[in-house]
Amino acid sequence: MSGTWPTQTQRLTLAQLADILVAEGLGMPAASAVGVADGLLDRCLDAAPALAEPLKALLDEAQHSEPDAFVRQLAEHRPDDFTVLSTAVVGAYFLSAQVRRLIGYPGQQPSPLSVAGEPDYLDMLERVYERHPGHQEYP
Amino acid sequence: MRRPQPGVAADVVIVGSGASGAVAAAHLAAAGFEVVCLEQGDWTGPADYMSDRPEAELAWIEKWSPDPNTRRGPADYPLTGEADVRPVMYNGVGGGLVQWAAMWQPLLASDFKARTLDGVADDWPINWSDLAEPYAQVAREMSVSGLGDDPALPELEPYPNPPIPIGRIGMAAARGMDRLGWHWWPGSNAIASRSHRSLQACQRRGTCMMGCPENAKATPSLTHWPSALAAGARLVTGARVAQIPIDERGRARGAVYLDRDGVEHLQPAQVVILAANAVGTARLLLLSASPRFPDGLANSSGLVGRRLMQHPYRTVTAVCEDFLDSWQGPWGQSIYSLEFAETHPDRDFVRGTKWMVMPHGGPMFAAAEYQEAHRHEGFDAVWGPAFHRAGAEVFGHAFTWGIQAEDLPEDANRVVLDPAVRDSSGLPAARIEYRVSDNTRRMLDFNVARAVEAAEAAGAASTMVRDIWPTGIGHVLGTTRMGDDPRCSVVDRWCRAHDVANLYIIDGGVFVTGGSANPTATIMANALRVVDHMIQSRASQEVPS
Ligand SMILES: Cc1cc2nc3c(=O)[nH]c(=O)nc-3n(C[C@H](O)[C@H](O)[C@H](O)COP(=O)(O)OP(=O)(O)OC[C@H]3O[C@@H](n4cnc5c(N)ncnc54)[C@H](O)[C@@H]3O)c2cc1C
Ligand code: SF4
Repeated sequence: MSGTWPTQTQRLTLAQLADILVAEGLGMPAASAVGVADGLLDRCLDAAPALAEPLKALLDEAQHSEPDAFVRQLAEHRPDDFTVLSTAVVGAYFLSAQVRRLIGYPGQQPSPLSVAGEPDYLDMLERVYERHPGHQEYP
Repeated sequence: MRRPQPGVAADVVIVGSGASGAVAAAHLAAAGFEVVCLEQGDWTGPADYMSDRPEAELAWIEKWSPDPNTRRGPADYPLTGEADVRPVMYNGVGGGLVQWAAMWQPLLASDFKARTLDGVADDWPINWSDLAEPYAQVAREMSVSGLGDDPALPELEPYPNPPIPIGRIGMAAARGMDRLGWHWWPGSNAIASRSHRSLQACQRRGTCMMGCPENAKATPSLTHWPSALAAGARLVTGARVAQIPIDERGRARGAVYLDRDGVEHLQPAQVVILAANAVGTARLLLLSASPRFPDGLANSSGLVGRRLMQHPYRTVTAVCEDFLDSWQGPWGQSIYSLEFAETHPDRDFVRGTKWMVMPHGGPMFAAAEYQEAHRHEGFDAVWGPAFHRAGAEVFGHAFTWGIQAEDLPEDANRVVLDPAVRDSSGLPAARIEYRVSDNTRRMLDFNVARAVEAAEAAGAASTMVRDIWPTGIGHVLGTTRMGDDPRCSVVDRWCRAHDVANLYIIDGGVFVTGGSANPTATIMANALRVVDHMIQSRASQEVPS
């Protein structure tokens, strides 16, 4: 899906809806403040392209409604549509480098593991042994 | 090395290149058999993996969804029907092991004896001891990391690699089990804790189910296909098998497949091995109905497609105050428990469950689970400013007890051909009819209550409980069961079809009961047992005219 989608109007609509789902609070920014309706939306739709078509339809529909009421009635009565909207918003929100920094999430980074030395659970494993009756053989 | 030529009869044609097909190809080719494997999907490799990109969590909901109906890749066939649990799978070279979590878990000795011990289902025609050697061999081939000596299991040969550190999540969960006096054990996984054979050491990315970019998770394209191809096996991708044709004496002649352009080919062979998983193989046998086998090939028992088992699954997530590093991998099992795996006279259900501790994933996953758990409190409890509670309370602070239940084999749970829906090659889709039984529901309710206790004993400030997952966990078993009596089984103890002397089935379909263990260790060990026998009894194998 390229060309004019999402239009500036659709992005503005999304920003309004997104802030109802992810508002400022607990030291975290609102969705629109980190660009959920801008470049992050494009990355989100690139990774999950099946969201694009239903999201577009929702944004067009939402233009004629009051944002808060629109989002709440989706949540209550149209669970599939609500999932499309909330997945796009939440997915884009957590792509934000600023948000990741604030929640202390470096991403699924490599971090070598070490199998050197004795694990620190051996005393607990001893107790598993002591209390377990042992498996039974069945010929 | 003799590499079979296109169209020329092979010694063996294998349908499916996943867990069982790859074992068969590697061992048969090494023993000098001319092997052709037909795989409907393609190779998947590091270039396709999303694991090392920030978009990884989004990829899971679509491109890397384990649900073929969501993913809709060119190799996926639709799964239709109203089922309480719908199977998930991966269709491509390596099969489910492209996406699996690599939890490596042999069955219990009692799993082979459900009829004798509990008066339900049937005993297997083989015992645990028949799989002891093959379990050890495939564990080496899969570079398994783990600690032997679990007192709940029969004696296992030590795993080739030390266990992966259980991490903060495992320590927290283990302390809870220790307080309650319940069984737990460090997880065994087909993930290399150090560089071993074709695998590199795990880097704890935690995105194992979207392909391991570090080549640390065992998958056939690393562990079995290189040696199979080097020994002369031919792997044909984009080859969707549509039928197993039969000669006038009722022997399989090979496999008819459609290539990517829809052109039909016959791959003739002396022996046919089906390794298309318990859904794909049942579907193919039903597609292969003929005047001689009007109800489907090898189906004189009427059991082809029936007794589908899937390990219905629930989770209990422990949310702790301590920071648990809980997005860090691997996404195998950190620890597991067999405390409730066996029948107990005081409980109102038979057989049992296996539990395993897993990480809790990234922030999107944490938010989704928080919302599901708190949705009943109303919109403002999870959205608006409250949205950030998931990040503050759950993200990084949670671990999950996964609980998989042994579902008993029932005739009504089955795979049939869909009368209307077709795949991209025009073949009927697989329709799934599956209901979760009362025994399984009682079992899961009981276990969830215990897992909440285990979470609390681990210091959880709160728990999030999920109901039975409507899409399965990739365990599909039982649709072509093994047995000595041709009237009530599809294949014999050597996994040869009772009705067709040169047709073998080696995937999870042959399971008589499912146990509660993750099945792949047993699928691969059994495949090895069967092909070893084929190699030894080669001279007496009946072949088509
Ligand atoms: C997300 C996920 C996580 C999992 N995690 C674990 C785990 O941690 N531990 C564990 O033990 N198990 C796990 N599993 C299950 C594991 O993947 C399966 O048990 C295993 O792959 C089954 O092996 P198989 O040989 O029976 O079939 P598969 O590996 O499914 O292979 C079947 C192959 O046959 C091909 N095929 C089917 N029909 C046709 C046809 N008509 N023509 C040509 N080719 C065909 C398919 O494309 C596929 O490649 C998981 C599965 C999934 C999906
Ligand atoms: S956690 Fe280990 S096995 Fe999993 S993706 Fe990362 S490196 Fe691979």
